[in-house]
Amino acid sequence: MKKNPKPRARLTMRQVEPYIWLLPSILLMGVMILVPIFSVFQTSFSEISKSGINKGFNGGVNYLWVFRNPTFWNTLKNTVIWTIVVVGLSTILGIILGLVLNEKFHGRKIVRAIVVFPWATALIIQSVIWKYIINADYGALNALLYRLGIIKSYVNWTATPGQFFAWECFVGILVTIPFVTFCVLSGLQSIDTSLYEAADVDGATFWNRLFRITLPLLMPSLTVSTVLNIIYVFNSFPIIWTISKGDPADQTHTLVTYLYKLSFTNQRIGEAAAVSVVGFVILAACASVYMVITLRSEKEE
Amino acid sequence: MRAKRSPWARVALYLFVFVICVVILYPYFVMFTTAAKSNDEMYAVGGGLLPGVWQWSNFINIWKEAPVFKYLLNSVIVAGGATFLAILCGIPAAYALSRMRFKGKGIFMGAVIMSQMFSPVVLLVGIYRLMTDLHLTNSLIGLILLNAAFNQAFAIWLLRGTFTSISSEMEQAAKIDGCGTVQALIRVLLPVSAPGIVTTLIFVFINSWNEYTIALTLISSDLLKPITVGINVFYGFNFIKWQYLFATSIFATIPVVILFLCIESTW
Repeated sequence: MKKNPKPRARLTMRQVEPYIWLLPSILLMGVMILVPIFSVFQTSFSEISKSGINKGFNGGVNYLWVFRNPTFWNTLKNTVIWTIVVVGLSTILGIILGLVLNEKFHGRKIVRAIVVFPWATALIIQSVIWKYIINADYGALNALLYRLGIIKSYVNWTATPGQFFAWECFVGILVTIPFVTFCVLSGLQSIDTSLYEAADVDGATFWNRLFRITLPLLMPSLTVSTVLNIIYVFNSFPIIWTISKGDPADQTHTLVTYLYKLSFTNQRIGEAAAVSVVGFVILAACASVYMVITLRSEKEE
Repeated sequence: MRAKRSPWARVALYLFVFVICVVILYPYFVMFTTAAKSNDEMYAVGGGLLPGVWQWSNFINIWKEAPVFKYLLNSVIVAGGATFLAILCGIPAAYALSRMRFKGKGIFMGAVIMSQMFSPVVLLVGIYRLMTDLHLTNSLIGLILLNAAFNQAFAIWLLRGTFTSISSEMEQAAKIDGCGTVQALIRVLLPVSAPGIVTTLIFVFINSWNEYTIALTLISSDLLKPITVGINVFYGFNFIKWQYLFATSIFATIPVVILFLCIESTW
């Protein structure tokens, strides 16, 4: 902008002003987010010694190592399953919960607050509690079922990697439901009740109202909450790291726990960066979809 | 939603919802009851749902066993600092986006939305290198900067929404009366947008308070850990003091739940 060809059209304060207002924000995000993004890309193409010293460009060696590693492919498969199962089921359950909690009943406000508040509590704390609950030797779940007479002796709930992963998905679903319910409840508030009265006059059934009125009108808030959820769940680190650390035998990793272990436990920093870039590409695809949706809905408003 | 349905379907639906609620709340029940159990009872087979003897001393012992107060203080500093910084940078940006026309506005908005998508975990390798270069590993300032940056998009988005919903007439009137843009913003727009600003403050605070991964990676001295990382002190290699872990977790949860209930009443 400084190389303005016409000297007469000098930059006025009015033209520069908006950028000054944006400057603090741009600086903060530029340094703390953009620089790490570049650094991850650069690292992924560099040979990094175990002590973290950069020995220079090494082509695609890190990527080759990653792509030849069966653990990576298993991790990628887990990540897809994890994201789809957790987002899918928590969305369905969250919608049902939101619809029921939207009906008028005594103590509705309190019940709503109770259902949604777990959203505000730290994931790490919720994960630690579940790790305790499913512990085979003294966990709360075994104690509960034993007392109720449902089991005769304590069960090892996480005997196989598959069981571990299933529990992690279960916890993921539970901690995600409150967010979906929150979005559904706020979306429902904007639906005009006269629509339902009109439907009543027309003799619409329950399913008619649900599929013809409620769900279509909920779509905008559901789309945003689903895309955000895909990104949160994809990036979710504490649940898996706390409950299984990706073990047994690295069988229960998702991309983020895998790259964490590669870089901070195994000191394979270049390879971890390559995994980051893979995750990055997947996220960028999701993010562009989200951006298009958001900017479009902005225009409609 | 009050259509004619068979009563059985209704009962089944309510039962289903009740079960989900119970399962969602079960961990909190476990947290509270386990926090008050004695060590022996903790590991006893066939232990009851409730503690046999309520060991209230657990809630006092945690403060002596570990620097829990320091962890909480670190969390307050990090979450408070990050919130302050995120809002301080976010308000002018949101103001420009809602009140001014300029080249590159669309690009900036797109970048803001995109940045929302990249959680710190995917960038950890890069973040660690950057923080090493800045000598900000193992520092609360580093955590404040990172939390503020990763909450920036969200803050701008919420604030911009608030500002856009308020007519600019009053600010223009103030400018005619001789106020500068900055004065008009501070004296006129900010007081009117207080509810939206408070909501944004609380969201950013809760997010930063609950942040775990960056702190786990960057902080190595025990006395600089925020509470989310600090609770691991009760999670040793040989023994785990679950009752202390959970008692501490309760103290870590109360502040954010109170804050959450403050904004919850607005919807």
